[in-house]
Amino acid sequence: MAEKTCPVRKTIVYLSEQIRSGEITDPRARRIAEQILLLTEEIAEGSAGLDHLSAIDTLLEDYLSRPAANRALGDTLKKRISEHREVFFSHIESRNCPSHDCGKLAPSPCQMACPAGIDVPTYLALIAKGCHAEAIEVIRRDNPLPWVCGLICTRPCEMMCVRARIDTPISIKFLKAFAAERAMSERAYRNPDKKEPNGKRVCVVGAGPGGLSAAYYLALMGYQVRVIEALPVSGGMLMVGIPRYRLPREVIDREVAMIEDLGVQFSYNTRFGVDVTVEELKKEGVDAFFIAIGAHKAWELGIRGEKEFSKVLEAVAFLKGVALGEHHAPGRHVVVVGGGNVAIDAARTSLRLGAEKVTIAYRRSRSQMPADTDEVEQAEEEGIEFSFLTIPTQITGENGIITGLGCVKAELVKKKDSDRLAPVPIEGQEFTIKADAVISAIGQYVDDTGMEAFDKMNWSRRGTIEVNHASMETAMPGVFAAGDAVSGPATVIEAIGGGKRAAAAIDRYLNHIPQPRMPRIPVRHTIEPPVEMAASRKMSLKSPQMPMLNMDRRRTTFQQVELGYDEKSVRQEAGRCLRCDICRRCGKCVEICRDKMGIDALQLGYLDFDTPSATDFRATAEKCITCGACAANCENKALVIEEKEGQRRLKLCGTLLNSQAILYCERCNAILPSVEYLQFIAKKTGHVSKITEKRLLCNDCQRKMGARINGVLPRV
Amino acid sequence: MVSCRGFNREDKETTMELMKGDKIEVFRRSKDEAWEPYMDDFIGLHGFVTDPDTVINDPDALIEVSLQGRGTHRLPQDCLKVLV
Repeated sequence: MAEKTCPVRKTIVYLSEQIRSGEITDPRARRIAEQILLLTEEIAEGSAGLDHLSAIDTLLEDYLSRPAANRALGDTLKKRISEHREVFFSHIESRNCPSHDCGKLAPSPCQMACPAGIDVPTYLALIAKGCHAEAIEVIRRDNPLPWVCGLICTRPCEMMCVRARIDTPISIKFLKAFAAERAMSERAYRNPDKKEPNGKRVCVVGAGPGGLSAAYYLALMGYQVRVIEALPVSGGMLMVGIPRYRLPREVIDREVAMIEDLGVQFSYNTRFGVDVTVEELKKEGVDAFFIAIGAHKAWELGIRGEKEFSKVLEAVAFLKGVALGEHHAPGRHVVVVGGGNVAIDAARTSLRLGAEKVTIAYRRSRSQMPADTDEVEQAEEEGIEFSFLTIPTQITGENGIITGLGCVKAELVKKKDSDRLAPVPIEGQEFTIKADAVISAIGQYVDDTGMEAFDKMNWSRRGTIEVNHASMETAMPGVFAAGDAVSGPATVIEAIGGGKRAAAAIDRYLNHIPQPRMPRIPVRHTIEPPVEMAASRKMSLKSPQMPMLNMDRRRTTFQQVELGYDEKSVRQEAGRCLRCDICRRCGKCVEICRDKMGIDALQLGYLDFDTPSATDFRATAEKCITCGACAANCENKALVIEEKEGQRRLKLCGTLLNSQAILYCERCNAILPSVEYLQFIAKKTGHVSKITEKRLLCNDCQRKMGARINGVLPRV
Repeated sequence: MVSCRGFNREDKETTMELMKGDKIEVFRRSKDEAWEPYMDDFIGLHGFVTDPDTVINDPDALIEVSLQGRGTHRLPQDCLKVLV
């Protein structure tokens, strides 16, 4: 690495290499080195606080006091930090790296979008090569439940996928599911090595995605983890909120078993605050608590008749009952009230249990439904009916039996001083939907039962636990929280990300290391070589269609609906990835080619986030002269010129944009630029290089020949 | 109307409806209690709405946005505007 490299970046590279090499044999010294690396990475990415540097100093003293520590490493670090202290401070204060070295491993938009910060391009590149177990290893650095997320994630990564600026986003979610399933099938899905037990105990309250995530990372760090769960099963909302046709139980069980294998102890059917108390747990030696109790209480509809009939059900309770073994249809004519994913799940579950007609009543229009569009489409395919712009007003019936849901038609009206359209009842347009069961799915909130012992913890006005989002720490020292209990009903991946963040924060808390100033920006560790592909193939590959279970089974069983891609489709789809972890889309290549060289061979409209224009990788070959100006100015080496098999090739993250035959000087056999380049130069230089119009000569030979032709000796 | 811990869900109204996939800008600091000091770094950034309020289109809900170069965060809606 050149001497000009930023000392912060240099420190990260040095420390990473030393830790990876295994030369730090003393476990405590190794742990300190990892903590120094973490703090330095936060300095590099701008998320460090003012006390980070002093914490590194303290850790270094601690490191050097260890007799078994590698002294050379400690001395090198101490010297570097002392010599470049002002540069470290400048990173902390300005949140910027003046030499831009610290941005070279900048995460891609998909990784940035993932609340758990999974390194998507790296694992896609591995999947494209058929390295499924390695891909799962990469995913599990940030998410211990890749198979689960591969089936039910809301996929914010795909929302930010740069490929969508060209055609359609990469099907990241399904590729993850494929890799997990294949790795599991090949018995190659393994836990990483965990650290030696550190003698500290953490209690996790709730075995949902947030709790499982925290338990996994804490166990890997050497903590003894006990998970308290009120339900008889693990998974929380994954198990009792998401139906089996979307997420088979075996998938959850297998991934939970992997976490159990790390030594995490699960206490099922145990209500926190009732069956076990904080005092008892503290007596057991618990050093920190992590609360991930989810948001399981349902909002009420607040309409007449709601309390009078036993067949007015809450969607979350209904889905939980079915997940735990209840298999009777709620009714023959079921109406589900709501427009979110829970409403869709309740409706499709009712259908599978034998309901003859299922209707979803939603007070706004189709375009405003918050449910996932794929889920809505699948529900419609299965025969679920939708009644939009429908406001329920009362539940009617007699002798305890529901006969209908009274509704009124709504129109969307802009309220005063607002662009937001609100549903307003239209007078006189009342109607009744025939029903013998009504399921309300209008949202959930946090059930705080059992939380009384955490009396210093603050609650927000939204009824959620208040935390500092950088550390997921509550106002009560040693008590951390994440997941729906903090965010309100949100996504699985957000809970997983929160659990991971909390695990890191608990580790810092118990080791007296300062917490970051803001949530950490996702971290990348390596750059996987890109898959080589012709420009025409890169442009023409299309996302595969998901094979689906046949319709009769979809309407009658809980078998998985989406059957998954085959291996060929998976590899092709992974190959569509543009590798935004390598190309940071600065646009310098386009500017140089167009404005400096006047060639304009790079039609890369996708580089612009705000105003993307047309992209065609194939267009480059029409104008490119393989001059290499773009590659020479590409800081990240996303664009490269290489000479291979008699061809000079221009590649962008593995995509072959242009390939031209290598020419040789006819006098000395030196390698020459391409014909196109020589012609380009000839046009620019005109009379000066007339000799090259008929002969292939290198610069030296041109000068010599030119001098001879002109009757003068060449200059020395 | 439903409430929880004294919070009335129809208390507040922001001026714009945010849908999944909307391109947004964090154009100002929010007055909401959920705004934390580090979020000042986000002002001026562009991104996408990745998870709006998933159930009821509540104008007061915190919604998930992915901001270019800064990751994914849950923010109050009054600091966001939709970019056309």
